[in-house]
Amino acid sequence: MSYLQLQGLAKHYGSFVAVDDVSLTVGRGEAVALLGPSGCGKTTTLRMLAGLIAPDGGTIRVDGADITGEPAHRRNMGYVFQSYALFPHLSVARNVGFGLEERRVPRAEAARRVEEALSMVRLGALGERRPRELSGGQQQRVALARALVVRPSVLLLDESLSNLDAKLRDAMRHEIRDIQRSLGITTLFVTHDQVEALTMCDRIAVMNRGRVEQVGAPEDVYERPATRFVADFVGRANILPATRGADGRIALWGTALPVAVPPAGEVDIFVRPQRIRLVPASEPVAEGVARVRGQVSHSVFIGDRIEVVVEGAGGQLSVEMPSGQRPPAEGMEVAAIWPVEDTLVFPREAP
Amino acid sequence: MTDVPHPLAAGRPALPRGRRLPLPLLVLPAALFVLVIYLWPTLGLFRTAFNEVGPTGAMVEAWSLQTAREVFADSFTAELTLNSLWLSLVATALALALSYPVSLFLFRTRSRFRGLLAVVAIMPMLVSGVVRIFGWLAILGDRGLVNGIAQWLGLISTPMRLVFNWTGVTIGLAESIMPYMILALLAGFGRLDRTLEEAARSLGATPLRTFLRVTLPLSLPAIALAAGLGFVLSMSSYITPRLMGGGRIFVLATEIYEQATTNTNWPVAAVLAIYTLVLLLALAVVARLAARRLQR
Repeated sequence: MSYLQLQGLAKHYGSFVAVDDVSLTVGRGEAVALLGPSGCGKTTTLRMLAGLIAPDGGTIRVDGADITGEPAHRRNMGYVFQSYALFPHLSVARNVGFGLEERRVPRAEAARRVEEALSMVRLGALGERRPRELSGGQQQRVALARALVVRPSVLLLDESLSNLDAKLRDAMRHEIRDIQRSLGITTLFVTHDQVEALTMCDRIAVMNRGRVEQVGAPEDVYERPATRFVADFVGRANILPATRGADGRIALWGTALPVAVPPAGEVDIFVRPQRIRLVPASEPVAEGVARVRGQVSHSVFIGDRIEVVVEGAGGQLSVEMPSGQRPPAEGMEVAAIWPVEDTLVFPREAP
Repeated sequence: MTDVPHPLAAGRPALPRGRRLPLPLLVLPAALFVLVIYLWPTLGLFRTAFNEVGPTGAMVEAWSLQTAREVFADSFTAELTLNSLWLSLVATALALALSYPVSLFLFRTRSRFRGLLAVVAIMPMLVSGVVRIFGWLAILGDRGLVNGIAQWLGLISTPMRLVFNWTGVTIGLAESIMPYMILALLAGFGRLDRTLEEAARSLGATPLRTFLRVTLPLSLPAIALAAGLGFVLSMSSYITPRLMGGGRIFVLATEIYEQATTNTNWPVAAVLAIYTLVLLLALAVVARLAARRLQR
């Protein structure tokens, strides 16, 4: 079931711990994103998988076989580098055919497979060009074709879309996802971009400080973040410090909150801005709805949505509403309401 | 843009023009220096080459090609040319083989002693050529280090002849051009990218195959640059062939010196000097064309 298995992977550089303890299993044909801020160890993990860095501890298994000690050239993994790393002295076709030449695939078969791979990424006519004669998006596709043509056991993508402009990135996201699905290739995808992670993968592993904080389907990670870090890093969230009354119940901005909280300790309330609605301050609240009162401070138009900042007794929170609606006037007294089940509670961390 | 000048436009260029020295003025000192130190003597050299040598051995003012004709009719000139070319070729090849790994290491190392190591690598450049050669004589001589160790190990019974012959000159010359070649290689390694080697490894290439298919082809421009420099330096080197050859090694540079000083035959020395210069320029053009093809 688990095709790729990472067990307790670790990598230190002197006293700096790049990867602390990463364990992860990926099923055959599954696409998993390693998502995290820069420096969280996601690229180091990917490089250890490819054999470009030797781990200090842990094991890597592919299809049951331990490959932890195998040199990079015997691992049969397709690696797409962030910079694409196309060979500048070779034509596009020879770039793509590089891995086949190294595997001593007969020339006629290699030529056929290179052609197939190039047409798969819609670059059929550009085989004789040099890499630098191609656009960024085309170079990206060559790198993908080069990694896939050898029929790798695992495809590794390292921030592969981060060098493209926004429009092209959207297009490539779908293209890569389609190719990955149609080939059924096991894929590990490193990214710091949550949209990439959410849209391109079956599951997401959120990493922080060299550890995996949570692994789950995109919706799980977004709706049910396991840790404070995940809630903060994936999606946008209002982080609101709650106060605890003498009876142990908690309140936000002086209003009691009907949410379950741990019996002791300081907590913060996380609410996604698009789950909050603004209503007139006088409107009564229904059962199962949280409410705080405040004053509209200002609103910002962000194209497809409008962000409204509400200032209350205990600070600010931001609310998102679809654009096209008229945002409430500045200074207006409003109530911000949201379903109680959309409230996340995490213990407060010392800053 | 309109043809009517803006009222403020007229005054605008005045500031930079007034504050900055005009470009020609900045180049002037260097230009004068080159003119006096290099161009003027070279022109003198050209002039001398057309002079003749009288029966007494004295120089006779003339505008003739008589001296050149005599020099090129002499088979010794051809021999000197071949000697020079061959020596330069072998010394450059030897120096390149030794410099390449050193440069690659210096280019890649992340050691905090990288700067220091680079200085150590080019240190010989800072030592006088004569001093360096006496060092080599001590190492390679009949009672030198190499022969001493070889005899002590019982590898040989009589000392190997390592100096005052082509072997010694080649070794000394290779060593003397190495620092320049290391610098040239380091300067030329620009396109060498570690990620490309990682890409090759991930595509199934062994370390050796990666070197042959990626590292070496991408460092060809650097190699061409370094080899060109090493060759030119070897061709024009005088001290090493003279001292390490012990007067038994004849190349163009030693012959020019010999003619100019011992024989005081200036016209012949001038002809040989210009001949060497033309030879080097021709080689530089060939090297440049080759480098451009490699860079493509």
